[in-house]
Amino acid sequence: MKNWLKITCIGLLLYTAVFSLWHPMGPGGLAVSATKLHPGRNEFEFKGYATHFKEAESSLQVYVSVDSSGVYCADILQVVDESRVIVSVFLPDTISSKRFGFAANNDIDGTVIVDSPVGHDGFQFVPGTSNSLCQYRVNQEEFSRYGFPYQPIIIESIRNLMWHVPMWFTMFVLMTISFIFSIRALGKEEGRVDLDHDTRASAAAAVGVVFCVLGLITGSLWARFTWGDWWTNDPQLNGAMVVFMVYVAYFILRNSTPDEEKRARLSAIFNIFAFVLMVVLLMVMPRFTEGLHPGKSGNPAFSKYDLDSSLRSVFYPACAGFILLGYWIYRLNYRIQKLEQHDETHA
Amino acid sequence: MDGILNVVHAYKVTRSIKIGLDSDDIQRVMRNGMCTNPSRIFGPMQTFWALFQKELKLELRQKHALAGVLLYVLATVFVCYLGFQQIESAKTWGALLWVTGVFTAFNAMQKSFATESSGTHLYMYSLANPRAIILSKAAYNALFVAVLNLISVFFFILFFGTKPLADMDVAQFLLGLLLGSTGLGLALTFVAGIAFRSGAGVGLVAILGFPVIIPLLITIVRHTTLSLEGASALANSLNLVVLIVLNVVSFALSYLLFPYLWRE
Repeated sequence: MKNWLKITCIGLLLYTAVFSLWHPMGPGGLAVSATKLHPGRNEFEFKGYATHFKEAESSLQVYVSVDSSGVYCADILQVVDESRVIVSVFLPDTISSKRFGFAANNDIDGTVIVDSPVGHDGFQFVPGTSNSLCQYRVNQEEFSRYGFPYQPIIIESIRNLMWHVPMWFTMFVLMTISFIFSIRALGKEEGRVDLDHDTRASAAAAVGVVFCVLGLITGSLWARFTWGDWWTNDPQLNGAMVVFMVYVAYFILRNSTPDEEKRARLSAIFNIFAFVLMVVLLMVMPRFTEGLHPGKSGNPAFSKYDLDSSLRSVFYPACAGFILLGYWIYRLNYRIQKLEQHDETHA
Repeated sequence: MDGILNVVHAYKVTRSIKIGLDSDDIQRVMRNGMCTNPSRIFGPMQTFWALFQKELKLELRQKHALAGVLLYVLATVFVCYLGFQQIESAKTWGALLWVTGVFTAFNAMQKSFATESSGTHLYMYSLANPRAIILSKAAYNALFVAVLNLISVFFFILFFGTKPLADMDVAQFLLGLLLGSTGLGLALTFVAGIAFRSGAGVGLVAILGFPVIIPLLITIVRHTTLSLEGASALANSLNLVVLIVLNVVSFALSYLLFPYLWRE
């Protein structure tokens, strides 16, 4: 097969597109309508996301937990639809903590949790009290959850993981290709530079910059949805912007140096500088500074909690697909530049 | 052509006498004419020191240029003063100090290569190891930027008073000032070398230099702010480590890559 690489690439990207956009979300707890809880009867609505409250009405349980000390079962008043249920819960006067949690459980969804802060009014706080525990089930493992894992705030935008993160991986791969060819361009022999390797380096860097811009755009969209702003003060965002500027400077340097040999040598030197800077900015510094990206302080990658098997089954093919796509475009760009050089020398 | 070579040769011999070589070395220079491997005649430290002195002498000789840079520092701080009138927070003080520092460094750096003609470069290439050249330039520029930053600190205190510096940890602050200045000096000397070589002029120094120094700038502003707020050395140690790492990386890259930049 001559074109196996391209076919694999297209296949992987098609799989990514279809799977990441159509694969359903797993169930999760969205919110509760109560803003304040007080002793006695509390009535509120529990909202789930992608849940099956109606379908599994017979096994549905809703409960309020007070930290880890007490769990209070709620009476189900009305199941409005698949994702909404109105319940009422009786709370005693004395509780041990001000922190409430809400959970719903049924045979289809397992346990879904709402973990938003809710106010309180009229309770006496007595540490260590443990009041009427109800019979509740936390049997999450029994259910085969089909769908992307639900996370508060992120919810559906978890799908962006398959687009945003591979952009950066692809950029890294392309910049590494560029870096290696820059070193080889310099290291040819005493006083000479390899112009062909220089062309390869610039072709790879050009595609890398495009993926950097795509990564910034997809990241900006995601930031708007989850963190509330198009741009937030996060080390990885700022670092990515600097990397973008450094590589734009690389092309400005190339274009402002007319002599071929000199351009090749200078841009190779600057490219090595730029690559080292990129590694420092995107791989070293975010590990040491506070930020909003997942898994901060220690490791800027997703932890095992975030990447479950249904995410992995799309995420890894997506990475492979985009890296292949980046390599493919780099090869095309390289050949275009070669042809242009050929035209110039034979014109 | 012979005439020119003789002049270069004679100059070299007189120069080598000044640097303090023994007669054997001079004999060798005389015999070989153009010396092919300069490091054999001039030891690396000797070359480095001679070039460093050359930079310093050039600077002191061009008093108008030096006065220009000093005026630039004064004017920048004065503009800050006119804009802000008074500064309460250590954060603003530190950030302004380094904004001034960066522009001063760029200003000082632009002449680093530009004031030398291409003839001088050819001559130096034949005479000295390129690594000695970049190291001497970088060391000189680092020192120069550090001195300029100290002067701008003086001006800041003059205009804004010592109120934002009440809780300052002086040792930490000075260490940060030194490391920030050397970092700027090292990185910008190298970038100025690239820009100069491309022949595109001084404008390119800013275009290439600004993105390159941003990580250093972020870290040094954070370090200075913490030291002004009187944070413990432990709280600031991470910034210090990053500063040292950036210095080492700039140094290593300059040292490794400058010979490639230098050869024509």
